[in-house]
Amino acid sequence: MMKPDVKVVILGDMNVGKTSLLHRYIEKRFQDTVSTVGGAFYLKQWGPYNISIWDTAGREQFHGLGSMYCRGAAAVILTYDVTNRQSLSELEDRFLALTDTAHAECIFAVVGNKADLTDECAIVQTSEVGEEEEVSPSTLHKQVFMEDAIYFYKQIIKYKMLEEKDVPAAEKMCFETSAKTGYNVDLLFETIFEVVVSFVLKKRVNPPQTVVLRHSLKTKRTKSPCCS
Amino acid sequence: MSIKAFELVPALERTLLIGDKTWINIECIECCGRNLYVGTNECYIYHFLLEEKTSTSGKLTFIATKQLHKYLGLKKPVNEIKAASALNRLMVLCDCSVNLLNMINLEPVPTGAKIKGVVAFTVNENPVTADPFCVEVCTISMKRKTIQIYAVHEDRVQLIKEVSTPEQPVALAADGYFICLALSTQYIILSYNTGVSQDLFPYNSEEKQPIVKRIGREEFLLAGPGALGMFVTAAGISQRAPVHWSEDVIGAAVCFPYVVALDEEFVTVHSMLDQQQKQTVPFRDGHILQDFEGKLILATSKEVYVLVPLPLENQIQDLLTGRRVEEALVLAKGARRNIPKEKFQGMYRRILQQAGFIQFGKLQFLEAKELFRNGQLDVRELISLYPFLLPSTSTFMRSHPPLHEYADLNQLTQGDQEKITKCKRFLISYLNEIRSADVANGYKEDIDTALLKLYAEANHDSLLDLLVSENSCLLVESAPWLEKHKKYFALGLLYHYNSQNEAALQLWMNIVDGGLEDTTRSDLYEYIIDFLSFCSDHELVWKYADWALQKNEEVGVKIFTRRPLVESQTIGINPDDIINYLHKYRKAVVVYLEHLVFERNIQKEKCHTHLAVLYLDKVLGLHSQSRNGSEELTSARNNLKNLFRHSQLYRVHLLLGRIKDTDLYVERAILHGKLEEHDKALEILVHRLKDFQAAEDYCLWNSDGKDPLCRQKLFHMLLALYLDPAVTSDALVMAGVDLLNNHAVEFDAVRVLRLIPDNWSIQLLSPFLGQAMRKSFHSKCMAEVALGLARSENLIYRYTKVKSRGNAVALSGKKVCQVCRGMFTEPVFLRSPDGALLHTHCATKSSSPSVTVQTYANP
Repeated sequence: MMKPDVKVVILGDMNVGKTSLLHRYIEKRFQDTVSTVGGAFYLKQWGPYNISIWDTAGREQFHGLGSMYCRGAAAVILTYDVTNRQSLSELEDRFLALTDTAHAECIFAVVGNKADLTDECAIVQTSEVGEEEEVSPSTLHKQVFMEDAIYFYKQIIKYKMLEEKDVPAAEKMCFETSAKTGYNVDLLFETIFEVVVSFVLKKRVNPPQTVVLRHSLKTKRTKSPCCS
Repeated sequence: MSIKAFELVPALERTLLIGDKTWINIECIECCGRNLYVGTNECYIYHFLLEEKTSTSGKLTFIATKQLHKYLGLKKPVNEIKAASALNRLMVLCDCSVNLLNMINLEPVPTGAKIKGVVAFTVNENPVTADPFCVEVCTISMKRKTIQIYAVHEDRVQLIKEVSTPEQPVALAADGYFICLALSTQYIILSYNTGVSQDLFPYNSEEKQPIVKRIGREEFLLAGPGALGMFVTAAGISQRAPVHWSEDVIGAAVCFPYVVALDEEFVTVHSMLDQQQKQTVPFRDGHILQDFEGKLILATSKEVYVLVPLPLENQIQDLLTGRRVEEALVLAKGARRNIPKEKFQGMYRRILQQAGFIQFGKLQFLEAKELFRNGQLDVRELISLYPFLLPSTSTFMRSHPPLHEYADLNQLTQGDQEKITKCKRFLISYLNEIRSADVANGYKEDIDTALLKLYAEANHDSLLDLLVSENSCLLVESAPWLEKHKKYFALGLLYHYNSQNEAALQLWMNIVDGGLEDTTRSDLYEYIIDFLSFCSDHELVWKYADWALQKNEEVGVKIFTRRPLVESQTIGINPDDIINYLHKYRKAVVVYLEHLVFERNIQKEKCHTHLAVLYLDKVLGLHSQSRNGSEELTSARNNLKNLFRHSQLYRVHLLLGRIKDTDLYVERAILHGKLEEHDKALEILVHRLKDFQAAEDYCLWNSDGKDPLCRQKLFHMLLALYLDPAVTSDALVMAGVDLLNNHAVEFDAVRVLRLIPDNWSIQLLSPFLGQAMRKSFHSKCMAEVALGLARSENLIYRYTKVKSRGNAVALSGKKVCQVCRGMFTEPVFLRSPDGALLHTHCATKSSSPSVTVQTYANP
């Protein structure tokens, strides 16, 4: 089995389109997916690096697996549905804590999917025009705006007790995408891969602490909110 | 979606163990080598020998022979048996203690060593201690929230470590320092070395039975929430996607690349490679599923079975038969580490090839090409699908067992012409690509011949490219095929490539003559001429020259004129032979001679004369036909005049004799000029032709590049003709005046003045006189300059002479001769211009010619 150099994890509530996003990126098409069971795993060759991408299950039932999937991750993609305010709140309430096991220098991206339902600009088909049925005009009310995502991103930084200057800018790491039309999907993954690759390079320069047990425990102690 | 990965084979029949004692239940099993141990609820241990037999039909059966049974005397069920074959011991968990028994006679060890207070235990198959006579055992202790690690020796046990856990452990597996534990609400990984633990994921052990299995180095399989089989490494991360098995899984095991799970009704098989369920075996009342050294054993409470994995090759073949190429390739790649490298490579290649043919059958050519290439397919396998493409002489036999099910292309496409064409197009591109690759080695003839056939059939332009470049087309095989498809020109190329130039020529000539039809080249005649002109086989050239010249002399003669120069100088065709041969082709011989004379500058009188005679014949011929000069005549005369003027080699007298009685005056004048009979020439020009300009030109080009006096002589000659008192006419006089005025400098003015009649006015001659004066004055000035220069030069020489003689040369007894280094004994000596003194006799010996020697007499 090929050993991945770095891990990227996609988190988010059920039915926000995590699997579709990944599928759109890998296969360049949109396909109706079934609810993910447990989790799925893709290896992506990015230049000389092997990047493993974990597509997690959003269902409550599999919530317990999240921490393990996030362990040692170099990037976490927190996904919500722009037509569903609740899906953003869930990220903060349920999913953010799962990232405690991620690598200390893990980067975050906040992604609002299904933008094609609310924004005209996202309807532009990027490929295979006519293969899919006509995209319905924006009928659904947009519940989450870019400013909300940016606000949440800053919350993450606070939660991680990091300085804003040490992490990629919120404007760079917040996206509105559409797995259906492909809008911003490549941009999302490619932005993340580029940041993550520099992470691998740094890791190679400073040999990693192989005993992840000890390491993650330490980070846990330092990172967990003090009020517990 | 299904595949047969495993076969369920009975190992221990009901009758052998239970018989009619229906209250007996199997509690646990251990299998070690051929030894099968069964522990029962009645506190018995049974020992069987398990023989594996393969029948002639390939069917695998197991025969169990009972060896012993032993009652442990505790009236409690036997919970767990583990063999430690290196110690010859069985570790048996019964009534909360692990007892050590002899593996063979099942007697307890004499020391009575045991581990007390054990709920469950596991053997660490990858222990950190390297002691071969020691087994590391991890136990869940009866003490709350505690696990213990023991070193078990032949007849003693030793507690190594005790670690407390956050909750009560339920199940465990060990690898190295790592213990994977199912606690009451979650799974954790614990390092007993450091005592550090790491949470994996929550799980409710009260709802479902947890499963913890070590499946390889530092990797565990756990029963996760929502019917998941989760893979976790010792580092606490997942490197494989989970498999989705059923809700009520009792037991699970890994037999690469499959995860086998047991529930109440089925045994399910999932692939770890794509997480898909691959096989379902109905199995009721399953109770135990465990793997022992790679052997999967399955038991109900009464019987024991073995799940025998089918060879991966067979599984892959089944997938390929079902045309499930992707799955087959994934399985083959996944199987890499389970099969010896050499065997794997051969197998994998074959699978790729088979997969390639499946894609080919679906007309998925891109995929097929990739697979063929990666599988290093013997391309003849592919060619052989196409009827008649392989040479009949080919010894190729399709591989056995066959790589595909197709007899030929017609069967594959069911005669669909469009598909056949597509397949052929694919083969063309594929063969083209691999022609130069390594895989083509040894089959180049087959490949090129097949390619030639395909090209010919498809009327493909590349046919000619193939034939004119390096190729290995088989002649006997290709020739009839090309004939069949009327590719005669190509056939000629093929003959030529095979050094059968004569056959090629005959074929091509036949096309030109209309005997065969092939429109490949509209300029085939020129092509043949070209071919012959570069043909080094002279016999062939002579043989077919007639044909070529008869078609068109001017073009045909290129056979000779275009021959590479280098060749004709050494072993080439002798020009004389060619001239002799070309006699009957009047136009051709002229062209050839022109080639020799003008292009190759051959300095042979014979050629020049011959050409001149031929030119002359032509001119005379045309001349006699049409009095008033046609264009053709003018051109012919120009050629003739040109040759007369510029060649120095032809026999002038001969030609002069030929044209003496004709009115080719200009030509005659030129010939006279060649004989230096300028008076005759000029007379013709002036009196016969009255062409004064021509006469003037004659003077100019005849004296061109010669002494100025020669030109002067000619002009005077001309002037004398103009002023000849015998034939005076105004025209001549005017011509004379013009000549003088236009070419004043060419004349000797004094002689002219004496010649001209006295009655000519100064006015008439003023341009001449002016120029003559100027020339004369110019000459005088030039002469004065020359005189001055000569004087000064003389002065310099005189100065040098005086200077060199000016000083006295002292000769003493101490001076030595520069040549012989001897003393001067006589008063006579020599002095060289550079001042060296020499003996007179030495100076004559001295070889240096540059030294000019002056003799001095001693005063």
